Amino acid sequence: MSRFGADAIYANTCRFIVLAALAWLPSLAMAGAEPLDLARFRGKVVVIDFWASWCAPCRQSFPWLNEMQARYRDRGLVVIGVNVDRERAEADRFLQQTPADFQIVYDPDGVLASRYQVPGMPSSYVIGRDGQQVEVHIGFRKDMRERREAELERLLSSGGASRVQPQ
Amino acid sequence: MSDDRNLTARLAAATCALLGTGAAPVMADEAGRWSFDTALLYYGENDDRVQDVSATIGAKRAFDDERLLNFTLSADTLTGASASGAIATDTPQTFTSPSGKAVYSTPAGKTPLDDTFHDTRFALNASWTQPLARLYTLSAGLGFSTEYDYTHLGANVSLARDFNKRNTTISAGLAYSQDDIDPVGGAPVPLSQMRDVGDLSNKRNSDSKDVVDVLFGVTQVLSRTTVLRVNYSYSQSSGYLNDPYKILSVVDGTTGDTILRAPAPGVAGPTGVYLYESRPDSRSKQSLYAEMKHAFGAPVLYGSYRFMTDDWGIDSHTGEVRLRWPLGSASYVEPVLRYYMQSQADFYRPSLVQGAALPAYASADFRLGEFDAVTVGAKFGHQTSAGNEWSARLEYYQQNGTISHEQLIGNQFGREQYPDLKAVIAQFGYRFGL
Amino acid sequence: MKLLGLFIAALALQGCASVGVEPWQRDVLARPEMSLDASPVDAAIDDHIYFSKEASSGGRGFGGGGCGCN
Repeated sequence: MSRFGADAIYANTCRFIVLAALAWLPSLAMAGAEPLDLARFRGKVVVIDFWASWCAPCRQSFPWLNEMQARYRDRGLVVIGVNVDRERAEADRFLQQTPADFQIVYDPDGVLASRYQVPGMPSSYVIGRDGQQVEVHIGFRKDMRERREAELERLLSSGGASRVQPQ
Repeated sequence: MSDDRNLTARLAAATCALLGTGAAPVMADEAGRWSFDTALLYYGENDDRVQDVSATIGAKRAFDDERLLNFTLSADTLTGASASGAIATDTPQTFTSPSGKAVYSTPAGKTPLDDTFHDTRFALNASWTQPLARLYTLSAGLGFSTEYDYTHLGANVSLARDFNKRNTTISAGLAYSQDDIDPVGGAPVPLSQMRDVGDLSNKRNSDSKDVVDVLFGVTQVLSRTTVLRVNYSYSQSSGYLNDPYKILSVVDGTTGDTILRAPAPGVAGPTGVYLYESRPDSRSKQSLYAEMKHAFGAPVLYGSYRFMTDDWGIDSHTGEVRLRWPLGSASYVEPVLRYYMQSQADFYRPSLVQGAALPAYASADFRLGEFDAVTVGAKFGHQTSAGNEWSARLEYYQQNGTISHEQLIGNQFGREQYPDLKAVIAQFGYRFGL
Repeated sequence: MKLLGLFIAALALQGCASVGVEPWQRDVLARPEMSLDASPVDAAIDDHIYFSKEASSGGRGFGGGGCGCN
């Protein structure tokens, strides 16, 4: 049982690190060299999705991400795919087969991935209009699509800076 | 997503897969599709001994969310002769066949082989795997096989949990099987003497055994290119564990020659005294198994080692190495080397001495004796432009047995006692998706 | 004895926590041929052959067995 207790502590620590990193991000973005400039998206709902060409569930998630981006672009949704392939050619090949209708940021050295302490592949960080992280989704399962869409709906409807409780 | 795009994706991914260029393993587990792994096998031993031809079809269907259904169907046909356990003599020998209805003979100086073996076996296994929670995977399976004299029914279940960012997986499994043995001509009473044709007084109808297996495993990612798995397993068999067709020669304590007998007048029957083997009715085995894969760029090295020990006194060591070497962009060659060695069972003996007290257990089955074995060969695989893969493998297997000098008597030293077994394994495989 | 085993297992698990790769570094491990179960049919055929010719079987998983050949 203590093992699971330790897991919970570990998870909370990770969450804390991620939140701290996120709080730190806007200031970093000011430096200009930042590949993931979240400050630009203040006031929008942002989904940061870490993916790789070798990750099978990532391939399943792309059509859904495309759909979300298309459906909610006007209401302020921004989907950013962070690719962690070491070789750009591999990412390009994947994108030829599975096009992304959202913007892609390349992170070949895993700088962003380690800053976010990405817990699994894919991982989706959902950030509210106030710039606060709301949830991290690990993996992609088709039966989660409706709940995740509902979550985005809520965040987009909340309009202002109010923080939406994760479920 | 349109079918066209899907197909293009699969083609491209399949082409890249062998290059190790990192396309997603689409062929592996794409949801909503069936994939098949088929094989035709020829196994043939020297001197017209066992020949086996088998066909295997593995069918796999992946569902959404990493759920997987797996079937394996196989059929094999076995023909040829198998060593009976009796020793060679300077005169021809005649034996009653297992059915009790006929006799077969062995020339002088040759290891007796029972050539009445013909069997066809069908086996079906089905398994279901699915995640239980994000870090748990449950797998359950059923197995059934049938052959002329044998029926097997088995079930297994295992649970795995990932730790440490999925770098460590711990699994535990349990399997149970119940096998019914209905030998040709009946199951002989252990240590009873081989009778004349038509005399089935030492044969019982049928018997059964059950086996419980427990397995604990740890899989650990060691680096970006290395993965290791270690399994501990415990297996407990109980019931009828004899090979109903194996016998021992009863010999003279000084000359080592088989004691001769004459069949009853007008009846065919054995020309020597032979007793059916007797094994304990329980066996517990423990094994420790480790395997590792390491990628050196595109080539992948595989190594495994197994130590097994049981309460019959058998210890064995098995080591295997494979190196998968890409050839061009769509092919690979994979040489394999396997080495196996085992010590003999406590009750293994090449023969029984006339007049000496009968041991409770005795077997002259070479597979319970001391030997080592080497397998060398290679597999060649090629991925077609459609993303399917065919492969061919050819291997050579040889056993070299040793009988300790204390177990040989008199004239037995000068005769062939432990004929080496040499076999060829040829397999053609084709993997495709629908 | 069992407790000792459990203790060693717990210790090993802790030790393993520092070994391994990050989730985004699994590119090589994701290659199909890096799977420890990459050729299940070959493995089943091998198990069947060696089960019928040698006194040892299994170890890898619940393989072998289920035949009157031994």
